[in-house]
Amino acid sequence: MRLEPQQGERIDRSHEVSFTFHGASVRGFEGDTLASALYAEGQRIFSRSFKYHRPRGLLCCRGTCPNCMVQVDGTPNVRACVTPIREGASVEAQNVWGSLDHDLLAITDKIGGPFTPVGFYYRTMIRPRRAWPLYEKFLRNVAGLGKVDKHAGRASRYDVEHRHAEVLVIGGGESGQAAAREAAAEGRHTVLVDNGPDPIELEGVETIQGTALGTFEGGLVPVDAGLVLYRFRAGHVVVAAGAVEQPLLFPGNDLVGVVLPEAVRRLVGRWSLRPGTRAVVISADDGGLDTLPYLERAGTEIAEVVDLRETRVHEIAAQGRGGRLASVELDGLKVGCDLLVVSGGRQPAYALLAHAGARVEYDDGRGIFVPTDLPPGIEVVGPAAGETGDAAIPAATYNGAAKKGKCFVCICEDVTDKDVKRAIAEGFDSIELAKRYTTVTMGPCQGKLCHVPSIRLYARENETDEATIGTTTARPPWQPVELGLLAGRPHEPAQRTAIHHRHKELGAKMMWTGSWRRPHSYGDPAAEAKNVHDSLGVIDVSTLGKLIVSGPDSAAFLERLYPNRFGDMKAGRIRYGVLNSDAGRIMDDGTLARLSEEDFYVTTTSTGAGAVVEWFEWWNAIWRMDVEIVNVTGALAAVNVAGPNARELMTRLTDLDVSNDAFMYLDAKHAHVAGAPSLLLRIGFVGELGYEIHFPSPYGEHVWNEILAKGADLGVKPFGLEPQRILRLEKMHILVGQDTDSESNVLEASMPWIAKLDKDDFVGKWSLEHVLERGFREQLVGFEMENGVVPAEGGQIVIDGRPGGRVTSARWSNQLDRAIGMAWVPPNLAEEDAELTIKVDGSVEKARVRLRPFFDPEGEHLRT
Amino acid sequence: MSFLLPCPNCGPRPVDEFTCTGEVTVRPKSDPTLRDLTDYLYFKNNVAGVQREWWCHRLGCEAWFTADRDTRTNEVLSVEVPAKK
Amino acid sequence: MSHLDFLSPDLAADDAVWRSPLERALAHAPEGVEDLTRTAVFEVRGDVDGLEGEVVRLTPERAYVLCPFEEAGRVRMRLTGAGRVVVDASAGWAGLRVHGETLMHRLTDLDLNALPALGALAHVRALVIRDEGDSFRLYFAQEYGHSVAEAVIDAAEGLA
Repeated sequence: MRLEPQQGERIDRSHEVSFTFHGASVRGFEGDTLASALYAEGQRIFSRSFKYHRPRGLLCCRGTCPNCMVQVDGTPNVRACVTPIREGASVEAQNVWGSLDHDLLAITDKIGGPFTPVGFYYRTMIRPRRAWPLYEKFLRNVAGLGKVDKHAGRASRYDVEHRHAEVLVIGGGESGQAAAREAAAEGRHTVLVDNGPDPIELEGVETIQGTALGTFEGGLVPVDAGLVLYRFRAGHVVVAAGAVEQPLLFPGNDLVGVVLPEAVRRLVGRWSLRPGTRAVVISADDGGLDTLPYLERAGTEIAEVVDLRETRVHEIAAQGRGGRLASVELDGLKVGCDLLVVSGGRQPAYALLAHAGARVEYDDGRGIFVPTDLPPGIEVVGPAAGETGDAAIPAATYNGAAKKGKCFVCICEDVTDKDVKRAIAEGFDSIELAKRYTTVTMGPCQGKLCHVPSIRLYARENETDEATIGTTTARPPWQPVELGLLAGRPHEPAQRTAIHHRHKELGAKMMWTGSWRRPHSYGDPAAEAKNVHDSLGVIDVSTLGKLIVSGPDSAAFLERLYPNRFGDMKAGRIRYGVLNSDAGRIMDDGTLARLSEEDFYVTTTSTGAGAVVEWFEWWNAIWRMDVEIVNVTGALAAVNVAGPNARELMTRLTDLDVSNDAFMYLDAKHAHVAGAPSLLLRIGFVGELGYEIHFPSPYGEHVWNEILAKGADLGVKPFGLEPQRILRLEKMHILVGQDTDSESNVLEASMPWIAKLDKDDFVGKWSLEHVLERGFREQLVGFEMENGVVPAEGGQIVIDGRPGGRVTSARWSNQLDRAIGMAWVPPNLAEEDAELTIKVDGSVEKARVRLRPFFDPEGEHLRT
Repeated sequence: MSFLLPCPNCGPRPVDEFTCTGEVTVRPKSDPTLRDLTDYLYFKNNVAGVQREWWCHRLGCEAWFTADRDTRTNEVLSVEVPAKK
Repeated sequence: MSHLDFLSPDLAADDAVWRSPLERALAHAPEGVEDLTRTAVFEVRGDVDGLEGEVVRLTPERAYVLCPFEEAGRVRMRLTGAGRVVVDASAGWAGLRVHGETLMHRLTDLDLNALPALGALAHVRALVIRDEGDSFRLYFAQEYGHSVAEAVIDAAEGLA
């Protein structure tokens, strides 16, 4: 019932706002919350409880308890008591089968008790096992609270904002504001965060309305401000998070009409609503007594006031009708009432300090847990530090001898005192175990209202004290947070070559290689591969890692790093190198071109560039040689033109003499190509005459276009990664990471010529020597299938009926009219023509080992 | 993990800007026995306490340096850039 | 031709078409976002005292030197010498100018009062420079160009 205009009320009676509740129109005022507007129109039952579907009404009015959680415009679990009224909002109850007033599932409250005790789901709905799908369907329908609307689509945009502050004050009450003012007066950049309903203005202090979710290492405090997540890095954190009003435990303590003091202050003070006609107040501290002026103002009759500091009460029991409070019995004295204000004292909100590593200690003089032993960089002030005023320590329960009525320890999860006693009787006597078994503190309030009362109960039932029981580990988030806010914007960095758009325009099917986007093929991988053999293909290899290694020690440096010999390379020549770890394992491969006495140009695999640069720099941090390593991966685009017509194409693109005598296989030359300054590498991983052109990336599209234009009559066609794989496999070129894994070494991978063991020392040398000593355990070989069936990569080589090797690559080659592949086999099978048995799709197929490239083993095409 | 690491060039930065390759180890000077080689490659001290580690400021100055970090608290006691020879 | 000339985009022939990796992403960019990719950037190792151009020091022996694209050749020549290793990295960097601290806070957690600096921006390594007022220049690897431009435009849209 709406009172006459009150001083300090937050509603603007000149601005009406309306929304719907189950389709029916509800009218309130600007400044109302959804809950206060509903309350004004007579709504008292706001939800049905988790397990028993008992009617629940407003209890805390500040976003702590679960009682007012509703579905708003498809968003579940919205706390109506702190959600501002919004024009046109569509509000519905959740967790009901029927209506709030008549929830069919309330049958569990009447008869379910014996069937649904604590931990019942560990013992029931297990047999018969084939009935599980039925149990599951039932459980999914009745479990949980709100429902996620799977078809709602993206309803909100969440942003993340990074902020810094010298001092971050969490909590804008009296002590928080004082701390913020003090810090600002000292000239420190101060920010105050408060999650109350009213904005705060403080001179010299930036204030943010939001909830600090936790404290993390490095002064990181994330603040939930609805649609923005502020990631604060604070030099110093002041926690002024206050203290949480605690309930009392007695039968009927969850009836609609039982409230905490803040509910009275807000209903009367903010929204001018009468909280009841006849009230009883039971308070262990000033909290309950402070509501008396509000009750008087509202015209509520005050029937009985009990100050637990002065009066000892042994039994409290509340009775109701249809879930709504009708009377309270105090040590036998029955008082009719429809409002019961309870206060069990206030518990300091220590969670943010516990996250930071503070200890939590029980103050048995005052019956509260306080944070202590704070780590550097964080401090606590006000009620959160334990300054909660004079209070009596409430009894664990006020059941006395009462047998009737449920006494709720955890109203979020519907856990009663009997459930807690049963759990202890079943052996879950430590608080961490009891928590997990009973689920106390695991609901929406996350222990704010139930943790300390449950500790008192555990202490009594275990005949010990609260200090011994202790608290459970506090973990973020302090308040529930929408997953969307934590997810932020859906952005993942992707790497594109300068030629990317041309691939899309040519109809390429794109794929990921690490975080690079690359063309898998342009529609017909087999034809693309064939075209390279027959006329001319072009592939974008800009993703290759590229390094300049420069300095007087560059050759010596590379010799120490690689198993290869590079010192004897002449300027203008190229070698293939395989990078090793110190355990002799293959890390990466690429080409090394010597540009001059002191300059080398090193390429790496597309996904390995970053790791290789770090590897090089790390070794040089140790060796300190006179060499500089510069990563130019993105600075250069690169394309490979390959096929019998490649030379003719090059004559059309450059003035350089590209005759075979002038530009030999494995030569590196400088020239302008299509007008772009370039480095040309004559290498051949795809088996045909080819040139790899490296040039500044802004000219990527230009050079590509020129190649396609000038090579049109030569039959030029772009080819992608899939045809490239076929072509490479025809030449038996290994793909690091595909044909090798983290255990492979160059010796067993059949590339012994790479490792120059006569060198003094190189990374991995000793390990490779050890491989020779111990003998090979396996070897990488090529194979041809006898029946043209292509085995799956990863397929097993069968030896004596057991797995004895594995296929790493396999493809059909149109050029060779055969199915070919590579596999790891035992050394005794690593012989030309040896027979292999390969498991393919449940049956076995035969293959023959090949040790030399399938296509053009002499490499004549490359050298033409 | 969200602790700050004091990069010797850039100052304190969130740990995810860096690459860590772990405990600083000492490479054998010359031809090690198999046991010494295996020790060097695979066995780490892995202390619950202050550990000297290799870090690289991957998203910043890209420099390699060593840091003494308490593995129990993530407090970084000191950082050092390897001296030039 | 010097053996590292193949890195320098300013040495291309006049008819070679230069294109920015940000071109497509910025086609629908809001006001105030400007493509700065056509800038020369040099990687300098060694004695980085007293260098010509806009100098950003990374370590005592490593610096980036920025200058207008048209002056690349001249600056490149002036930088070489005194035992320094100079690599023309111009083609490797894309650049953007944006405005506003809040926009920047949505892209990076770098301290905007401690610039210029190298750090993470839109999850990518970036060089961030602050000019007068609330104007910021961002430089980042060109292969991440489209990605970063998308993130910047998205953040700007969130503030519109």
